[in-house]
Amino acid sequence: MSVIDSIMAGLALVGNVEAIVSLAIGIVIGVIGGAIPGISATMAVALTLPFTFPMQPINGILLLLGVYKGGIFGGSIPAILIKTPGTPASSATVLDGHPMAARGEAGRALGMALWASCTADLISNLALILFAGWLASFALSFGPPEFFALILFSLTIIAGVSGESLLRGALAALLGLLLATIGLDLVYGTNRFTFGDPNLMGGLNFIAVLIGLFAIPEVINMVWNPTGHIGKVQALGGKWVTFAEYKRCFRSIVRGSFIGVFLGAIPGIGAAPAAFLSYSEARRKSPNKANFGKGEIEGVAASEAGNNGVAGATLIPLLALGVPGDVITAIIIGAFMVHGLQPGPMMFVMNVDIIYGLFIGLIFSSGLLLIVGGLAIRGFKPVADIPKRILMPIVLVLCIYGVFAVNNNIFDVGVMFVMGWVGFFMSRYHIPAAPFLIAFILGPLLEDNFRKSMLMSGGSPDVLLRGPITWFFWALTLIAVVAIARGTLDKARDKG
Amino acid sequence: MNKRAIQVQLGIGACAACLFLILYAIPYWISAPSNIRNIVLSPRFWPYAIAGLTGLVGLGMLFANRKPDVDDAPVNDPIQDPQAGLIRLAGMAVLMTVTFWLLPRIGMVWTTMLAFASLAFLVKTRHPKTALICAVTVPLLLYAFFAHVAGVAIPQGEFVRLP
Amino acid sequence: MKLRQLGAVCALGLGVTATAALAEYPERPINMVIPYGAGGATDISARTIAEPLGTVVGKPLVMSNITGAGGATGSVAVQNAKPDGYTMLFARVGSHTVNPAMKATLPYTLDDFRFVTVYEINPVACAVRPDSGIETIEDLVALTESEGTSFSSSGVGSMLHLAAVMVLDEFGVENPLDKAIHIPQGGGGEAATAVLNGTVTFICTNTSALANFVANGQLKPILVTTAEPVPGFDAPTAVELGKPDLTQLVGWTGIAGPDDLPDDVAAKWGEWMAAAAGDEKFIAQMSALGSVINVMSPEEANAFIQTQYETFRALVDKLGMRIEG
Repeated sequence: MSVIDSIMAGLALVGNVEAIVSLAIGIVIGVIGGAIPGISATMAVALTLPFTFPMQPINGILLLLGVYKGGIFGGSIPAILIKTPGTPASSATVLDGHPMAARGEAGRALGMALWASCTADLISNLALILFAGWLASFALSFGPPEFFALILFSLTIIAGVSGESLLRGALAALLGLLLATIGLDLVYGTNRFTFGDPNLMGGLNFIAVLIGLFAIPEVINMVWNPTGHIGKVQALGGKWVTFAEYKRCFRSIVRGSFIGVFLGAIPGIGAAPAAFLSYSEARRKSPNKANFGKGEIEGVAASEAGNNGVAGATLIPLLALGVPGDVITAIIIGAFMVHGLQPGPMMFVMNVDIIYGLFIGLIFSSGLLLIVGGLAIRGFKPVADIPKRILMPIVLVLCIYGVFAVNNNIFDVGVMFVMGWVGFFMSRYHIPAAPFLIAFILGPLLEDNFRKSMLMSGGSPDVLLRGPITWFFWALTLIAVVAIARGTLDKARDKG
Repeated sequence: MNKRAIQVQLGIGACAACLFLILYAIPYWISAPSNIRNIVLSPRFWPYAIAGLTGLVGLGMLFANRKPDVDDAPVNDPIQDPQAGLIRLAGMAVLMTVTFWLLPRIGMVWTTMLAFASLAFLVKTRHPKTALICAVTVPLLLYAFFAHVAGVAIPQGEFVRLP
Repeated sequence: MKLRQLGAVCALGLGVTATAALAEYPERPINMVIPYGAGGATDISARTIAEPLGTVVGKPLVMSNITGAGGATGSVAVQNAKPDGYTMLFARVGSHTVNPAMKATLPYTLDDFRFVTVYEINPVACAVRPDSGIETIEDLVALTESEGTSFSSSGVGSMLHLAAVMVLDEFGVENPLDKAIHIPQGGGGEAATAVLNGTVTFICTNTSALANFVANGQLKPILVTTAEPVPGFDAPTAVELGKPDLTQLVGWTGIAGPDDLPDDVAAKWGEWMAAAAGDEKFIAQMSALGSVINVMSPEEANAFIQTQYETFRALVDKLGMRIEG
């Protein structure tokens, strides 16, 4: 079958009202789920899965993909409005999105988040369609040593989000690394800092830490200073994002999209590191460097481009290899299998109509996201007008429900409260939260891949430099470290 | 608190944490099997590395702070009455502890209603009536959503159960 | 207490009735704990049975994933729950036979649970890359003896970990722990990927986790541990290879409650499962994933689990694999 035939066969599958409606419903569910902290894109997909069983395979899968994409965008709504990332992927959006909302520019931030998301989504889908085969075989050449080098490089982004003091950023990162060691050891299965408590054996729940670190300090801060916000504007504001701003951020959006595509194609990294990496790259290249972290619209654009760039690309290993890149795609694989479809190289031969149907559906999804997202922003608008001393108790209660729902465990609510105090004291001491979070995500990956590499080689460090991919990332790491060192020294000299 | 005080306190804190981890926490709170082939594979290797780096960062903060050009301006916005602020913070800590304790006992809906109302009054809201109405409706709405739409087993407690 | 009263009044307004102590079980939704994450084998199995089961039970079954520590976190949640039959657990081979056999520090033992059924058996298969030059299990054993091999698992104390060691041990490899290196991964999907990208030599896991890769020709099965051949897996069975003891090595999913679960509740579950597992759609969906549906009575389930536990425990003690710390 030629490509044209395949495309026609695909069009025949999705060129009907049902397919488009499934996709649209999926996006609506996703945006709402993503906007409620604790539901997150993952849970929204898991909850929708059973409804797809009786549907046509293509419609069911499009429904799930819609939920996924909608969820990743939806997470940015509470991240901007109430400083509570709806999904882990939107934690980078908090850094500049919330300061903008505090200035009364929530509308601009949300608008930019939507535009950046849709652009990145489109780029990601095109990358999936054009490069699936090539990127998939590339992703498969990532063994533990390559992962180790990649993650080591990703850790250098900590320097970009450390704010005024690199040392305090490093301290935050080390705290994140330390807390990430809690739980069962990967290689020997022994206890680390668990004190025999079965709740700690699983490690600290990521979402509980995330929400504890961002949302609860806001609540505590208001308890400390209940009238601090009076006089400052906290409203959605009439201002909407302009096309000129979009054009100004376009380079960052495209760069972020490609970072997302690249990290999304490699199984096991996820959307949150992509968002942070994209953010730190945008900051590095931007003329408004100093404004990042204080409400720079380009920061919002870059973060959202990074995390939405992942959404299409995670389908690359899924469709081409049958390998799920994260929890969400693992659930989506379940949907394929229930319908008797087996993702992998053979699917491009056996079910090519479904593959092309999916591709065409995905292209539609970017446009639908723009429409649904625009409506959602208007729907969530009133949140910005709630008086702060009513809003904060709502945030507290919402966080309690949300964090519980993630793992059905009351212990996680306790973790969230404790992390709230940690976050509060960190902000009093001007220790940035972002490095903590990046280290908490990447720390276990770094350690595990280091030890897996050592297991592979029998303890010889040579394996860490075993091929061109590792050399490439080691070189990038070296360049980044030198640049950071020079930057720090220059800053010190300027002062003195 | 000014920048210098922050740096000194954090530096000392980081060094103390490093010593505590290396001398006590890691040897006693991490169990490692006796038959490890290679030191880098030990469950303790990574925490030791983190602890060592923490110490270095701590020393770095103390050292960098010796330069005289650090300004003495306070770094946090002052608040009207710090004493009352501290009392409110203590109240918040008690509120969180009690909430955590009550959650499995009387159920999430009733606990969060109490937490909502207490927090709203702790910060002396200007809209007490709205706060009370929200304190009742928000947990109920969230319960309805999480339990019946999302299918989550929200803790119900021993006493009054919702449908 | 004004608020409490207010709340109570509201609740009454919604038509709430206080729980009557002596009523027919079940009179409210049952919380079913899944100790593994969404999308995994246990989760899919649990959510598939939940549909016909919910119809038979007559009250909703609320599925709760409580993940962490290889199934231990969710299992402990049920161990500590009130034994009233309103909190039940989807127990799995990893959380309830491999983990207790391997981990000395596990916060529960088999005696803390009362099994009401085992309803699903997953055969185990071992697989390698097609271009690895390994054609049979003998090749793998020979390679392990000469150069050494490695295998992946979804973590220490997972079924995959024990399965690989048990297979090598059965086929006469002495000291399999030294000759075959265990490289644990974060989950079942990652474990399969590790074979695909050449990080490890082989993997032994449930056929459901491998079916996709085998169908696509990305992995080559070299052994299945059942007595009967598994459809889609072109590999000899353990019985054909003269190792009938390996048939003990199968995955399973069952339902358990806390150990002092009342007899009438356990009996109810026995009836429900017998009715629910006959559902044709359920059987078709599970068979498509490579599972064998076989509903055991509580007694059969307990005997089956106990035998498997003892087999695993004997192997663990023989090789010194027990984790004490």
